[in-house]
Amino acid sequence: MSAIVAEGLTKHFGEVRAVNGIDIEIARGAIFGFLGANGSGKTTTIRMLTTLLKPTAGSARVEGLDIVAEARAVRRRIGVALQEAGLDDLQTGRELLTLQGRLFGMPGAQVRRRVRDLLEIVDLAGAADRAVGGYSGGMKRRLDLAAALIHWPSVLFLDEPTTGLDPASREAVWRYVNQLCAEDGITVFLTTQYLEEADRLAHDLAIIDEGRVIARGSPADLKATIGTDVVTVRVGGPAEALDRAAEAAAAVPAVERVQRADGAAVVYVPNGARAVARIVLALDEAGVEVGDVSIAQPSLDDVFLQATGRHLRAGEMPADGGAA
Amino acid sequence: MTVSAEAGADARVAAGAPRRATGRAGFLQVVRVIWMREVLIYFRDRARMISAFTMPVIMLVMFGEGLGNSIAQLPGDIGYRQFIFPGMVAMIVLMNSVFSGVSIVTDRQFGFLREILVAPVSRTAICIGKISGGATVALVNGAVMFAIAPLLGIDITLEVVAKLLPLIALVSFMLTGLGVALGSRLRSVESFQMLSQVAIFPAMFLSGIFFPINNVPAWMDVLVKINPVTYAVAPIREIALSEQLAAVPADAPFQITHVEWFGYTLSTWEEIGVVLAFGALMLTIAIRAIRTTE
Repeated sequence: MSAIVAEGLTKHFGEVRAVNGIDIEIARGAIFGFLGANGSGKTTTIRMLTTLLKPTAGSARVEGLDIVAEARAVRRRIGVALQEAGLDDLQTGRELLTLQGRLFGMPGAQVRRRVRDLLEIVDLAGAADRAVGGYSGGMKRRLDLAAALIHWPSVLFLDEPTTGLDPASREAVWRYVNQLCAEDGITVFLTTQYLEEADRLAHDLAIIDEGRVIARGSPADLKATIGTDVVTVRVGGPAEALDRAAEAAAAVPAVERVQRADGAAVVYVPNGARAVARIVLALDEAGVEVGDVSIAQPSLDDVFLQATGRHLRAGEMPADGGAA
Repeated sequence: MTVSAEAGADARVAAGAPRRATGRAGFLQVVRVIWMREVLIYFRDRARMISAFTMPVIMLVMFGEGLGNSIAQLPGDIGYRQFIFPGMVAMIVLMNSVFSGVSIVTDRQFGFLREILVAPVSRTAICIGKISGGATVALVNGAVMFAIAPLLGIDITLEVVAKLLPLIALVSFMLTGLGVALGSRLRSVESFQMLSQVAIFPAMFLSGIFFPINNVPAWMDVLVKINPVTYAVAPIREIALSEQLAAVPADAPFQITHVEWFGYTLSTWEEIGVVLAFGALMLTIAIRAIRTTE
C-alpha cells in the first residue's frame, strides 16, 4: 500500500485555483520532495493532506485513510511541522514536547522517555529547560521537528523545513530527516523551494507550478530527461568575445545547444567530460580568452526551465542563511 | 466520524505502523492540557501580569480620590471609590478574559493552533480548554483585586468575597468565550486592536463600571442595556455592595444598580441568568468557529 495517494486533489479559494488537480502516489518509507516556487500550491496541498483544509474536489488517502471522512484517524498517523514553527516563546522545549505528547494521549512515563530521546536526537538536550524564546531559528526548527515526531507518526509532513536557516542548521535538519527515514521507515513528505534540498534529500520528486504537477520522478530520472551534460565556460574580454565563443562552441561536434548567460557560454552536450577539451580548443582557436570551465550534470533547475520556460529563481539558497 | 469507522481505520493500518504511542487523549485530558498551557504561559509573562493590574488600580485610586470628592454623593452615602471598586474588579476580569480569548489570534499566527489542530483530539475540548484557561487567569486576577482591596481603602468582608468568586468564575468564562468567538474570526493582531477600540472599550465603559446604570440619558440607557457586559457588572456590584445597598433609602432618586427593563427591575439571579445564557451562546459560537478553522 502506498503511504499517500492523491487523485485530482483540488483547492480553489474563490477565483484562485491554488491547487488544480494533483495526482500523486508516494511509496512507503520514501522521502518525497514537493518542489515549487512560492505560491505554487505546495502549502495548500500539505494543508489538505494534513486535514487542516478540505479539498474543493478530488480525494486523497494517507496510510489508506481518507483525509476528509477519516480525518481524525489520519491525524493520529501523521506528524506535521508547518512553515512557521508553532512554538510558545514562554515555554521550555521540554514542556512544549510534553504538551504535544499529552495531546496524543501518551501516558506520563512514556512521554517523559520519548521527550528525552527526541531532545537527544535533535541535539537539544542541553537547551531543553530553557524558554523557547531564547532559541535560535535552527533550534526552533529542530524542536518543531521533534514535536512532530512525538507520537511515532508513520508519515511526516514538513513544510519548507529549512527555509531561512543557515547552512549548518540546514545540514542538521537534512541529517535528521535522512536518519528518520532510514532507521524508522517513516515516509517523509516535504515541500521545498530549494533545488539543492530537493536534489539532496528526496528519493522521489514532484515539481509543482501554478497548482499542477509539471514533472515527476526521482531527481536522477528527472535530470536524465534533459539528456545532456552542461559545460559552462567563463569568457573574459568584451561582450563580443562571448558571441564568438558561443559560435565556436556551437560548431563543435555533438554539441546540442549553446546558451549565453552572465558572461559564460553554457554548452549542452551529451558527454561533457569527453567534449570539454574540444570545446576549449575551439574557443582558443577562435581567439577567445577562456576563464573558468566547469562540467555539471543537468540540475533540477534545468528540468524546471524545460517544463515552465522559467528558472526557479526564488529557489536559490541564500549563501549565508537568513535567520541564524 | 463514527466510532466504528475509526476502529476500522485503526485495524487497517495497525500492521503498518512501526511503533505507536499508546493510549488516546480523552476529552478531559485535552481540556486539562490546553488549560495548563494557558495558565502556565500567563504566569511566565510578568509584563502581562503587571500591566493587567496597573490600569484598574490607577483608575480606582485616581478616579476614586480625584473625582469622588467633586461629584455628588450617591444615594445611601456610598463613597465613589467604594462604588467603582466592583467595577474595577469587573474591568480586570473583562480585560483578562477577552484578551486571553483573543490570544487565539496569535496562536493562529504563530502556528500553535494548527499544530494542536493536527493532533487527533476533539476541537470542542481544545475550545473548552482554551476558555477555561483564560477564565482561570481572569479569576486569579479578580481574586488578587480582592486581596489588595484593604490596601486601597475598600471595605469588603471575606463572606462577600466567597460569594463573589464563583460569580466571577462564571463571568470570566462567558467573557473568555466572547474573546475566543471574536478571536477565531480575526486574521491578524492588528484587526484585534481595531476591534478593541471600536467594541471592547466601549462595551467596558458602557457597562456601568464608572456610573450608576439607571441614571443616564435615554440613548445611553439603550446602549447600556443591550451591552452584555452590563449584566456581568451589575451582580458583582450588588454582591460587593450588599451591605451598603441595604442602607439606601427606598425613596432614592434612582437605583444604583440592578438593570431595569421598561420599569421592571431584574434581580441579581435574573442578571446572572442573562450572563449564563450569553455565556452558553458564546461557547457555542466559539466551538463552531474553532471547528471550521482551517
